[in-house]
Amino acid sequence: MLKRIALTALVTGLMTASSLTQADEHAIKVGMSGGYFPFTFVEQDKLQGFEVDVMEAVADEMGIEVEFVTANFSGLFGMLESGRIDTIANQITITEERADKYAFTDPYVYDGAQVVVKEGNEEVHGVEDLKGKTVAVNLGSNYEQLLRELPYADEIDIRTYESNIEQDTALGRVDAFVMDRVSASQVIKEKPLPLALAGQPFSKIRNALPFRDTEAGRALRDRVDAALTILRESGTLTAISEEWFGTDITTP
Amino acid sequence: MSVLDIDYMLGLVPILLRYLPLTLQMAAVGMALALVLACGLAVIRVLRIPGLNAATLLFISFFRGTPLLVQLFLFYYGLPQLLAFLTQINGITATIMGLTLHFSAYMAESIRAAIVGVDRSQTEAALSIGMTNGQLMRRIVLPQATRVAVPTLMNYFIDMIKATSLAFTLGVTELMGATQKEAAGSFLYFEAFITVAVFYWVIVELLAWFQRRLETRLNEAYRR
Repeated sequence: MLKRIALTALVTGLMTASSLTQADEHAIKVGMSGGYFPFTFVEQDKLQGFEVDVMEAVADEMGIEVEFVTANFSGLFGMLESGRIDTIANQITITEERADKYAFTDPYVYDGAQVVVKEGNEEVHGVEDLKGKTVAVNLGSNYEQLLRELPYADEIDIRTYESNIEQDTALGRVDAFVMDRVSASQVIKEKPLPLALAGQPFSKIRNALPFRDTEAGRALRDRVDAALTILRESGTLTAISEEWFGTDITTP
Repeated sequence: MSVLDIDYMLGLVPILLRYLPLTLQMAAVGMALALVLACGLAVIRVLRIPGLNAATLLFISFFRGTPLLVQLFLFYYGLPQLLAFLTQINGITATIMGLTLHFSAYMAESIRAAIVGVDRSQTEAALSIGMTNGQLMRRIVLPQATRVAVPTLMNYFIDMIKATSLAFTLGVTELMGATQKEAAGSFLYFEAFITVAVFYWVIVELLAWFQRRLETRLNEAYRR
């Protein structure tokens, strides 16, 4: 009995191992968190959002298939490094450190870092009021870096989260969270959380698609870049942006 | 906060049901493999096979001494940087491997305890009537040890089912991953997470029912 179970298990295990998809010239594997409304999110089991539309348009332009892989944000760069995905479409901001390590496309989103507070918060009106406050950011995002670069960074209690920073701010466990202006406005407008923007965006950010800095990675990056350029010139990028945000975030 | 969105919760049920088989599959395969490995490790420990015993001690020490999440990240993200061919392992397989290695370390100890717990006089009696070591194990020690080990092994199985919820960090959308993504899209956190909590709870209760039946059967010989 036990032997049979073990054998079945072994066979199933091996079958799972061998059924894995191999690298494919005719498909691009795109990693995203699936938890970043309205860029990439799931409703009724359907992955959707700005990033999904952009990457589908890019793949269409390149004449290849696109395969989306969702994982926790903190796992995405590990998947890119270990070759399990080709790029990450999750509003990846170009930072100095990342630019050293990865081959980026041209930016396709121009945005700003935004402080968001619980509705009715009278103390925080912008980034300058964060001194002595507790601020949530997503683990591995560049917003933590932006906060640490502030002259009074030592006085900010920065908390890094795997997910759900909007919820913890709405619950009052932290005083504010920092995210990009566009999706923050969208969350406030469309979702039932008591949140408000605090002041103006405090830093310009440019978001693009990172590829592995190898010969193959750079070659693929160039093909994607060419497709993005065509989409930008044909107005497709602007149209996708208008659809999700009612404004064009794809130009500086 | 507004009242509970019951319609949303009901709508989640069929969606989450689609991801239930994967969760159960990872736990079942992981458990079966872990049982085999744990039995091997336990026998090595009981018989103190030279060399292997020391290796087993190291294995148990490492996999019991580090968090499962660390082990999963190590296999899935860490090792492929050293050994490129390991990228061939997908998230599901990596999760099953992680669960197997992690839980077999715990299970080996509880199986060993069950074997050692069988009274020594039984061994002596069996050997005195001329049974071989193999017969002794098969006919006398293991049947009794199984009865003792079942409750703790079921405990580990229950724990393993819940541990599959870590798989989303490796890009595997199972029950918990699907819930996280739905919650991120709707921002109805309470509704989403209470629904998935009920899912796990029901699975574990079904297992507990099965365990009670199994124990009754194994205890038949001891009933007065």
